[in-house]
Amino acid sequence: MRKTLEVINELKDKGLIKDYAIGGAIGALRWTQPFFTEDLDIFIICEKESKEKELIILTPIYEYLKKKGYPWKGHWIVIEGVPVDIFPADELEKTAIEEAQETEYEGIKTKVIGPEYLIALFLRVFRDKDIRKTELMLEEATVNKEKLDKILNKYGLTEKFTNFREKYYGK
Amino acid sequence: MENNQKIVIGKRILTKEELFKEKEKFRKERAKLLFDEKIKALVQLQQLALSWGNKKDVIIWRI
Repeated sequence: MRKTLEVINELKDKGLIKDYAIGGAIGALRWTQPFFTEDLDIFIICEKESKEKELIILTPIYEYLKKKGYPWKGHWIVIEGVPVDIFPADELEKTAIEEAQETEYEGIKTKVIGPEYLIALFLRVFRDKDIRKTELMLEEATVNKEKLDKILNKYGLTEKFTNFREKYYGK
Repeated sequence: MENNQKIVIGKRILTKEELFKEKEKFRKERAKLLFDEKIKALVQLQQLALSWGNKKDVIIWRI
């Protein structure tokens, strides 16, 4: 994990990405008690955006990682023994990255998406595992409710959150 | 009647409600662990999933 983060930081240092932050289960785990997961989700802001907005080109990143000898396993690229998923950020994720909390893992600097943005991202996808993570975040993480409301409102997720709370918490 | 049930853990006697409160407190304390410590715990969970669970293709993270 230490070396994995070093390699991801290299992507930024070498100008292949503008910025990144850890999200997904590991992002959540930063704010909750440890729970099982298999992969590390990294959300990235690309350095160069394609002229065609619908086209996101990750080739230089994958070429760089391939040259370093990291193998593919299904949809993951295994960087220094850790399966990694790389997601190019959309508008919500970009803000989440920009406002992510700087933290350290064994002395290596990294950024982790904050609880409020993670909840918004989980709500948006809303698979069973996202619902479980949302519950964990609400029960164990310190969530700034005002900030969460603002994010949910901005990205049209307020109603989804209200329905979620009614279904799972009865309020 | 069931609510009056007591649980004996070593020298401690707790009601179910007290036990659940303790569990809740423990979870919140665990949430405050350092990121490094949580990743170590995750690797233990991955090892457990590989040896006990049905997840035979789990990659145990190199930390």
